[in-house]
Amino acid sequence: MRTVHRIAGYMNRTTIIALTWTVVLIGCSGKRGENDKPVGTNDTAKTGDSTQQLASSRPLRELSYEERQGAFLYEKYCAICHGHEGRGDGFNAFNLDPRPRDFADSAYMKALSDEQIVQTISGGGRSVNKSPLMPAYGWTFNKRQIHDLSLYVRTFEGGE
Amino acid sequence: MELDMALEGDLLMKNLRIVFASVAVLFLVVLAVSPMKDYFREWRGYQAAYNKYIEGLPQRVKPAEPGIRQIWVRKLDRVDRCVTCHLGLKEPALSNAPEPYRAHPQIYHDIEEFGCTVCHEGQGAATEYKESIGKVKYWDKPILPRAYMEASCAKCHKEAEVPQAPILNLGRELIRESNCAGCHKMEGFEKEWVPSLDGIGSKVNRAWLVNWLKNPSAYSAKTDMPNFLLSDDEANTLADFLLSFKQFAGEVPLDSLPGRFTTASDAQKTRLTDLGSTRFREARCISCHPINGKGGYVATDLGKVASKVSAPWLFNYLRNPKQFQPGVMMPRYRFSDEELLGVVAYMKGEFVDYDMEAPQEHSIDPGFYEKGLALFRKYNCGGCHSLGGVNRAEEMAPELTTIGSKKLYEIDFGKSDIEQTLPLYLTTKLMNPRAFSESMKMPKFGFSQKEAEAIAVALLGNTSEKLPDEFIVRPAPTHAFSPQGDFGRLVNDLSCLGCHIMNGRGRLVATDLSLEASQAQRKWIEGYFKVPYSLRPTLTERMPNLFVGEKEIKTIVDYMETSFIADSLDHPVPENPAAAAAGRVLFFERYGCQSCHQVNSKGGYVGPPLDKVGARLNAGWVFHWLKNPQALKPSTIEPNNNLSNADAEAITAYLMTLK
Repeated sequence: MRTVHRIAGYMNRTTIIALTWTVVLIGCSGKRGENDKPVGTNDTAKTGDSTQQLASSRPLRELSYEERQGAFLYEKYCAICHGHEGRGDGFNAFNLDPRPRDFADSAYMKALSDEQIVQTISGGGRSVNKSPLMPAYGWTFNKRQIHDLSLYVRTFEGGE
Repeated sequence: MELDMALEGDLLMKNLRIVFASVAVLFLVVLAVSPMKDYFREWRGYQAAYNKYIEGLPQRVKPAEPGIRQIWVRKLDRVDRCVTCHLGLKEPALSNAPEPYRAHPQIYHDIEEFGCTVCHEGQGAATEYKESIGKVKYWDKPILPRAYMEASCAKCHKEAEVPQAPILNLGRELIRESNCAGCHKMEGFEKEWVPSLDGIGSKVNRAWLVNWLKNPSAYSAKTDMPNFLLSDDEANTLADFLLSFKQFAGEVPLDSLPGRFTTASDAQKTRLTDLGSTRFREARCISCHPINGKGGYVATDLGKVASKVSAPWLFNYLRNPKQFQPGVMMPRYRFSDEELLGVVAYMKGEFVDYDMEAPQEHSIDPGFYEKGLALFRKYNCGGCHSLGGVNRAEEMAPELTTIGSKKLYEIDFGKSDIEQTLPLYLTTKLMNPRAFSESMKMPKFGFSQKEAEAIAVALLGNTSEKLPDEFIVRPAPTHAFSPQGDFGRLVNDLSCLGCHIMNGRGRLVATDLSLEASQAQRKWIEGYFKVPYSLRPTLTERMPNLFVGEKEIKTIVDYMETSFIADSLDHPVPENPAAAAAGRVLFFERYGCQSCHQVNSKGGYVGPPLDKVGARLNAGWVFHWLKNPQALKPSTIEPNNNLSNADAEAITAYLMTLK
């Protein structure tokens, strides 16, 4: 009797442990957190990117991070000749002959490779056999900044 | 009996065996099944889809080995498993791929070295989407929305201007401009100078004050004074309280206007007004003061000032501004009493607010002083303005030094039904300070959404996180440049540092003067004080004519020649026609300098015209400027053309012939 009870007691414990494990394992494999809706949060996070408009007043298409960095440089260094909308009609454009490039000209821009744009910014107009009125910025900006700028000038394509 | 018991025992044993067997089988099944759940992990799906996605690309991209990946940043104590699913972060070919595979934009920090969550927040150790973005219970740092991304830069970057973080920079500038530190304690921000209210009872009229208290921007659109949303009663009581302060600090007396101002004949008055009008223009008041919104932005709008201040105050103030407002940027113009009277007559006649509401019938409440004082304390007017004899409420608003680590449960969203996140709470509160409760005391600053978000970015960066010292970029030490003697007195009297920087102190509205004597020729500087023509015609903030005398000019230029000079900027430059001719060719044909500079009235107007540059600048300066403009003026947009010494010397030789 005593033995039986002991065995039964042992068995009980094993069963409990086994069952507990089963429950735990099944519990784990189920997806957690499905029902605990977090307090006051939902997935429609406010990601509206008003930040782009800091740089320019024109309604921008969704700009990537790099294009946005390029935009800030463009506004400071380039817009004065090339114009805020990239139309080559900046404040100083009318003093220049030939006029600054119109970045909205899709046909022209499509024919340009990324390397050519980077070269023009770095080495200036004369490095690509164009007007020396476009200065070289290769010793003012680092490679990353020129990369960002080269991406940003492409965003004007097809503009109004 | 014993047999029974034995039988019973047998039966029990038999049953137990069945139970034991079934449990054992169950256990085995569970053991066999449990690894299977690993095969249904969310991230495995993402990894499989990634490998499928890259197969369709024209370029070859290395497929992902299945498994959890992580970046362990020991120094920052972070383990970020985001890279388990964000597989293309370092693949340039994937710069336009859909998320979560898109390449990370080029930034100045290496992902391997910094991890993800130190900037993006969220739960780095999580391996399921929902948990990783941290929008789950008990995780206080959910992923930062893109508009607020630059807040993370602020955790380490404490310097004045953070490169590549324009929104953060804007936010910090707005915090400074709006003088948030007047009420909120905040690391890195000091209280800005704000006019003292001492003697306000002898300065302004009551109708103006009541309207001003109710809505400051109606009087001056660009004012920094926020709207405290006061009721009519509150505005009236506060006005009565303030107007009872008639004594200026230091008991400075207010002289009455000379008798001839009132007894003058009409013809004399017209002459006086004409003189005032001329001096008002010559002194270029509008360089700093806007008139009804047009003009400079540095000082207060003068468009309606005649309806605000009394004529005697204006006369006394113009005669010596700092006597009434120590610390004010307004320079002391060297006007004679006659000229001062003229300017006062002109301003009193010209800048009247014809739309100002007529003062309403109003009986002064006998308890106005106590009630007014209570309002003054309640809205912490003393946080910004000093008022003699009234003790300031000390830092009554919450400290904002660690606001970015505020827990959601600590925030009372009150009646508002916005999405409950910290960035949104701050932005909403900044735009509409009463959005969460009517009993809030913060005034309305009239921030746009863009501005409110920028300030929220700067505030979110104020966290209690302890980051290792080696990551922190501290602001450059501030200079305590404080010129003494005659020059020091002149700098204070003329408020040079209101627009110019000298040895790191001052404000960059105009040129940095720290190397002025190396840059410009003595004769030119002397002449400039007498006729401060604009070097760049397109500027709005132009140097005023302060009417300083010969002796004062000498004091200033003598000081510059001993202190604002660097011998290292000397450089011998050839003075022969051949060098100049070579320089001319380089100037026009090789470097295209005429894109930005005028010579002989032809060329661009981005930089200053160079027509008479040979009589303005020193050759050594021109040479060093051409070699590396940013070394002399970091913010200049003139590119560094990487000139050889020979080229720079030749161009300098050419420019020095332009006289």
